[in-house]
Amino acid sequence: MEGGMDFLNCLDLDMSLQILMYLKDPSDLARVSSVSRSWRDFVIANGLFKQLCLRMFPQLSRVARVMELNKCGAKEPVEVGSSYSTEWESLARNHRVYATLARVCTSFLPEDCISKAISASSTDNYPEESIENTLRPADIVPHRPLYWSSKGQKNPAVPETLIYKLKSEFCVITEIKIRPFEAYFQPGSPIYSAKSVRFQMGHPKSPNDLGSRLLGDPLPSADDTFIWTYTSPEFPMAQESCLQKFTLPEPVLCIGGILQIELLGRVQTQEVDGLFYICMSYVRVMGRPLSPALRVEILEPSGTFVLKKDMQGKFHTQPGLPENEAREIPNDRWQRRIRYLQHFVDILQGNANVVEIEEYESGEEEDEAEEEYPL
Amino acid sequence: MSNTSENPKPSSSSAKMTLKTSDNELFEVEEAVAMKFCTVKQYFEDEKDSDVAARGSTTVIPLPNVHSAVLATLISYGKKLPQSNAVADNHEEEETKKKERKKYEQGLLKNLMPGELLDLISAANYLDFKEGLEFFNQALADHIQNKSVEYVRKFFGIKNDYEPHEEEKYREEYAWAFEGVDED
Repeated sequence: MEGGMDFLNCLDLDMSLQILMYLKDPSDLARVSSVSRSWRDFVIANGLFKQLCLRMFPQLSRVARVMELNKCGAKEPVEVGSSYSTEWESLARNHRVYATLARVCTSFLPEDCISKAISASSTDNYPEESIENTLRPADIVPHRPLYWSSKGQKNPAVPETLIYKLKSEFCVITEIKIRPFEAYFQPGSPIYSAKSVRFQMGHPKSPNDLGSRLLGDPLPSADDTFIWTYTSPEFPMAQESCLQKFTLPEPVLCIGGILQIELLGRVQTQEVDGLFYICMSYVRVMGRPLSPALRVEILEPSGTFVLKKDMQGKFHTQPGLPENEAREIPNDRWQRRIRYLQHFVDILQGNANVVEIEEYESGEEEDEAEEEYPL
Repeated sequence: MSNTSENPKPSSSSAKMTLKTSDNELFEVEEAVAMKFCTVKQYFEDEKDSDVAARGSTTVIPLPNVHSAVLATLISYGKKLPQSNAVADNHEEEETKKKERKKYEQGLLKNLMPGELLDLISAANYLDFKEGLEFFNQALADHIQNKSVEYVRKFFGIKNDYEPHEEEKYREEYAWAFEGVDED
């Protein structure tokens, strides 16, 4: 038996690389590196972990350089020596950092990555119908439906955007969940959904721009404030008030921690004024924040960025709980809603007194213009 | 070497070509199959241009880099592939053929020694036989995917030249990669 069955030695480089490209799981590549020193050197010299990450996340094409930070957060000293050893050290560093990135982006329990709301393109009644409301499932605040509402428009083609800041400036995102708002206190229970939705991810042009602003004021020009480095395909939206899931074709790295939801096309008019509105009651962005162990530093104006691995950094602790909060409206809420509606019917039919409302306070939600309907 | 297809073929595809291996064996192959080897196709087309010879002439195409055993396997695999010029099968026939092919593929790979696999890959590469290359490359990758390091070393005959402490350090750093693999 010849000793020459080591395909890395026998086959030419292109062929060996082609074969190793079949390995999509980072674990396979990590084990290949531990077969022998020469196999490890092959993986490092050819930047195979970087190639794997680039195939998974084309967003990484804009990495300017890679850094490893030690205990004190200081950069590891650059080796003084031959250029060969410096280059090798750089390749070895890439190997370590991209292996970590590949690992954490392929093995995790998705969690909600929204840290806070930044801005909505328009808001009908601020703060009652603020974008802030989309961060909480409706049931947390009893007796009051929580939702964001856009301003009304005559033209249904006018879009809206919602912008959120994520928990980390470096996240991997797999899907976005949105629940359109159903105004069950309006006749016909209209659902103020949109025709379709699209997502963008990016970073602020200047980190200070976000500053302190009322959420009610839309950003002067979102496109000038942010640079979008990823745009998803357009997904049709259902005219239903359930939590709709929009799964990205591939997981995406959000570099910069900003996510924008574009709501395209209005479908529902409000009876009172005949204008088209869009209202959303709940938004979740599912994925995994990658800091503090992995971070990015964006280098403007080139738009490239530095990928940093913090040797001592841990990953954001995974909640470990199955996500069960963001379900469709639970049963008892339906019961309440039905009782509320029944009560109104009774009022209209003259069968009941206004003061007997059990679940909702009479004055409270009728002060929003949108919700009034003639009694 | 008769083709198993029952359907009548269009006239041009019954032509045969002769391929000569490195150990001077001659293989008569149907044009439809031989054309999957793009290197052969290129050679044939060059010949045709220069010769204005009729199709199916008795040109012998030399393949100095391919041994007969390897070529036999590649031809056999090539025949099992859906033929581009065959009359379209109905769905049932297609399913049957697929199953047959799967069975054939499994049989082929079962007793394949690593050295033979490498020879097949080299030859498929030389012949520019895309489907064959993909198939055998994947077969090789399957001996790495989800397999333990010990298995890989054994299969490919790789000597472990790590120092024990070096290897241990690596395994610790990449502990996540070593969970749940086939020991086989």
